[in-house]
Amino acid sequence: MAKDSNTLIDALVADLAPVRPLRGWDGALRVALAAALTLAVVLGSFGLAAPVRAGTMSAMFLLANGLLLLLGLAAGASTILQASPRVGNRHDGPRWAMSMAAVFPFATLVLLALHRTEAAHLIAADTAWHCLAVSLVASLLIGGVLLAWLRRGAPVSPAAAGLHLGVAATALGTAIYGLSCPADSLYHLGIWHALPVIAGALAGRCFIPRLLRW
Amino acid sequence: MIADEQSLSRLMAAAQTGDRQAYGALLAEARRWLQRYLARKVPPGQIDDLVQEVLVSLHAKRASYDPARPFLPWLAAIARYRWVDHLRRTYRREEVELGDHDAIQESDADAVMARISLDRLFMSLPRAQAEAIELVKIEGHSIAEAAARCNQSEPLVKVNIHRGLKKLAALIEKAD
Repeated sequence: MAKDSNTLIDALVADLAPVRPLRGWDGALRVALAAALTLAVVLGSFGLAAPVRAGTMSAMFLLANGLLLLLGLAAGASTILQASPRVGNRHDGPRWAMSMAAVFPFATLVLLALHRTEAAHLIAADTAWHCLAVSLVASLLIGGVLLAWLRRGAPVSPAAAGLHLGVAATALGTAIYGLSCPADSLYHLGIWHALPVIAGALAGRCFIPRLLRW
Repeated sequence: MIADEQSLSRLMAAAQTGDRQAYGALLAEARRWLQRYLARKVPPGQIDDLVQEVLVSLHAKRASYDPARPFLPWLAAIARYRWVDHLRRTYRREEVELGDHDAIQESDADAVMARISLDRLFMSLPRAQAEAIELVKIEGHSIAEAAARCNQSEPLVKVNIHRGLKKLAALIEKAD
């Protein structure tokens, strides 16, 4: 630190260069572009799932992907806002969205406990691991954009910012891949489309904060 | 007299475009505001260091200020973040206890609000945690002295400091 703050202020003034203020809509636009690019790559690689093409999606498909999309939007908006801190900001939205989205895997686990014969079949399904892996890969670009945004900003709660980033990226990535996923049973969606988000939440909470401290 | 919120917002918006004169004025005002905001929240000998740390952070993170929003809540969030970080890092046994003679005596409404704001953040903590942080991290007592004064065991004082700082870090943007 400088010996006196006048010297420091003079140095900071001399170092001043114009900056582009972070605006929420700018961050949202970047995430939307990343999501659009991810969607194009996923559809280009795997195509639309047959029920989606035919317009015969199951109720479970709509519910699961709708919840994931809303969860991704809530967590994404919170992540973007956390780049511009302010006493008085609240970031409760993702918590509620996570609670609501958790109903799906929870209901699946309850059903699995009641009908145990399904469990072995569920774990063995080839598409399941594929879903998990592709959903995680589909989250990377969105996660990278959010991370770059936060690092430009000044997140004052790195733990919350990391958690929301992880949830936003994986929820949006999984919802995008959901358009290509051929399986639409409750068991499949409730487990294998929830796991990427749980993994994203854990990774975001454990590893991202150290990249955000300033 | 510290400039009003609107003037500060205008100065910061001008600084973001590279206006050095506005930036110099803003930093001088921010320094005065921070000296009041942080008064009695760190040992008096550390206030200048902490104010300078916040000013450096303000400079490094100036793009994170949205000119459409008020300036002081943004500056307060930066100051709180640095303050909690400072409490985590520093412990200087040789610092003297805080006394009224050390505090800046101005009593503008904004200074009062600022003090309340930091106090409110502190009040979000359980009493034992707040007391442990206050005694050790702010007043500069040893763990043993703090344990004797607040009737907690030494390990408990350490745990309370650790948990309290963790909680403070999660409450930086809390307003009430």
